[in-house]
Amino acid sequence: VPLDVREVLRLLAEETRRRGLPVPVPERVVYEWADGLGLPEEGPVLLFTGALYQIMPYVDRLVAHLERLESARGSGIAVRLARRLGLTGLAGAVAKPDPAAVEYSRRVLRSIVGHLSRAGVRVSYPPGVDWYSGVLLYDLGLDEVFAEHAARVAERIARVDPQLIVTVDPHTTMVLREAYPRYVPGFNYEVKPYLQVLAEAGYRPPGGPRGPWAIHDPCLYARGLGLVDEPRRLLEAAGVEAREPRRSRRMTYCCGGPLEGVSPRLSRAIAERRLEELREAAPRIVVMCPVCLANLRRASQGRVPVEDISVVLGGEA
Amino acid sequence: LSVEEALEAILEALRDPGFQEAVWRASLHAEERVPRILEAHPWLAEAAREVAEAKRLAVENLDSLIEEAVGAAEAAGWRVYVAETRDDAVDAVLRAVGRGGLIVFSKSMVAEELGLREALEEAGNEVWETDLGQLLVQLERGKPMHTTAPAIHLTVERAARLVREKLGLPLPPNPEPEDIVAAVRGFLREKFTRASAGVSGANAIAADTGSVVLVENEGNIRLVTGLPPVHVAVAGVEKILPTLTLALKAAIVQAAYAGLYPPTYVNVISGPSSTADIEHRRVKGAHGPREVHLVLVDNGRRRAAHDPALREQLRCVRCGRCQWECPVWRHTANLWGGPAYGGPMGVGWTAITHEPDAGGLALLCMGCRRCDEACPMEIPLSGIIRELKRRWAARHVL
Repeated sequence: VPLDVREVLRLLAEETRRRGLPVPVPERVVYEWADGLGLPEEGPVLLFTGALYQIMPYVDRLVAHLERLESARGSGIAVRLARRLGLTGLAGAVAKPDPAAVEYSRRVLRSIVGHLSRAGVRVSYPPGVDWYSGVLLYDLGLDEVFAEHAARVAERIARVDPQLIVTVDPHTTMVLREAYPRYVPGFNYEVKPYLQVLAEAGYRPPGGPRGPWAIHDPCLYARGLGLVDEPRRLLEAAGVEAREPRRSRRMTYCCGGPLEGVSPRLSRAIAERRLEELREAAPRIVVMCPVCLANLRRASQGRVPVEDISVVLGGEA
Repeated sequence: LSVEEALEAILEALRDPGFQEAVWRASLHAEERVPRILEAHPWLAEAAREVAEAKRLAVENLDSLIEEAVGAAEAAGWRVYVAETRDDAVDAVLRAVGRGGLIVFSKSMVAEELGLREALEEAGNEVWETDLGQLLVQLERGKPMHTTAPAIHLTVERAARLVREKLGLPLPPNPEPEDIVAAVRGFLREKFTRASAGVSGANAIAADTGSVVLVENEGNIRLVTGLPPVHVAVAGVEKILPTLTLALKAAIVQAAYAGLYPPTYVNVISGPSSTADIEHRRVKGAHGPREVHLVLVDNGRRRAAHDPALREQLRCVRCGRCQWECPVWRHTANLWGGPAYGGPMGVGWTAITHEPDAGGLALLCMGCRRCDEACPMEIPLSGIIRELKRRWAARHVL
């Protein structure tokens, strides 16, 4: 039976209003990846992760919960009611993320910081500034809640008034670039994804000559920002062979991730097709977005290695 | 129209391997065809830009363009109706074709939008679709699953079963598509010759000459519009372009971006058939229809022309390329999008013609923007859909 989409959206809006995050996870989840790194608290270049890498392991659990509800048999009001009750039980559903996924997110973010540092880009990570951007609210048309949330996030950023915001994923990048200036008066910071920053710095990553990898462009980097050459240049500089799948670069194909809260089964069907064509290109897949990472890994169920580009560039995969 | 209803049908389609495979394969073929056509004929992309610009202006001046088209069409001999609502449009067609007749249809998405075939049947007419895909859709009592390829969800086995069971036509065991085409051709020949009226859509209408332009490959449109004594063309008002040159370009661009170039037939109809071969005196109704009707359908379009988001949708030439390119559509076909239209362009059209509150359906869009890249009319489809989500959420969620 289909999910009660209104309920899913209401819940997302409520959670974000209540905690500032789309899923009920503790605040420390956003920052703890940086523990012990000694990142500077001040500086003109602000690292803003937008928390997507950090919360995806929890979202993954939630999606598994929603998929079970969607697969439940039955019809009518009883089922609808059960679904509502099921949804409100989501705090329990996300309470136990896969520890390996949590660790992987931590590794990705630390790896990104490592690349930036080696490229000579000094980023600051002041306490209490990095936060979830609200991108999901925006994507689902929950503009009223998004505007409130964005205003709060913009206040945090305004405290440090950076010259440049460096982001780590396409969704946060796009929402800060496209939506924030329209919804938050005076928000006109320069925003660049770290891959662009690295490429512009002429960075030579340490990754070994390993491959081949099938490269999966995220939709928003490819079509939103036109960021297709930079990751390829970096992979090449790292001695990594990247192979193009059937649909790549500007006409890349979606991983299905954005649908995971509305119809996990449809989302999975899209991911499985994409996974198939990526596998035709190479036995391992390199991605550059936390949503693609989670969704393609979910579809792959461990059959195909799916790795984040930061890890591949670091020669850690 | 609720997203849950759409999802129910979609979840069922996801469990249907035949449906999934048929739509997937067709998408792959279409996806390859269009870039090949554009590469071989670079002028088409330029023509698309020209048509897009003309359509932008046409939407801005819709009322005056309608007036001009009505004047020119009447002067050319059409009986013209501007139908404000769905009911007005159906009434106009019913008045033109009458009751108790045999009516042949060429595939028309506006007819689908109006529920025209069903309405004419209810009025006691025998109605037959003559586009093969659309006939199969009629036989299964479904909806077209793609704008230009309505039976895209059917495998050859399923198509054969429909033809055998619903039309009683004999087919060899394990028939090939050619067998089905031959059987249906024989069946429809008799309908064409007996038909009291033919109903078509229009790919474009020229405001300067009152001409209706139609492209096709099957040849059925020529018969529908040429053989019966009465022809009714039903078209959305957004199909009007200022000149015949632009109307022809729009039709050819539509065919190219649908992956069908060159189109086998391009039809230009500028009034009833006539002859002046005897004493140079004009006599209506030679070999073609003596009576032609043009029903210009508003059904929400003029309102949409003043809506900052939906007005963009009115440039759509319905080539269906956004459908082929959409990762969601490839699993749902037109099960996603509304009662008549489907896919990325369908959500916008449903909001215009059926239900301003179509935003629930918009939630199935992933915002991946492939449709924006694919659209020859440069319609920001994902932007329209996001705006519809916003309107829906403001009303139903927040």
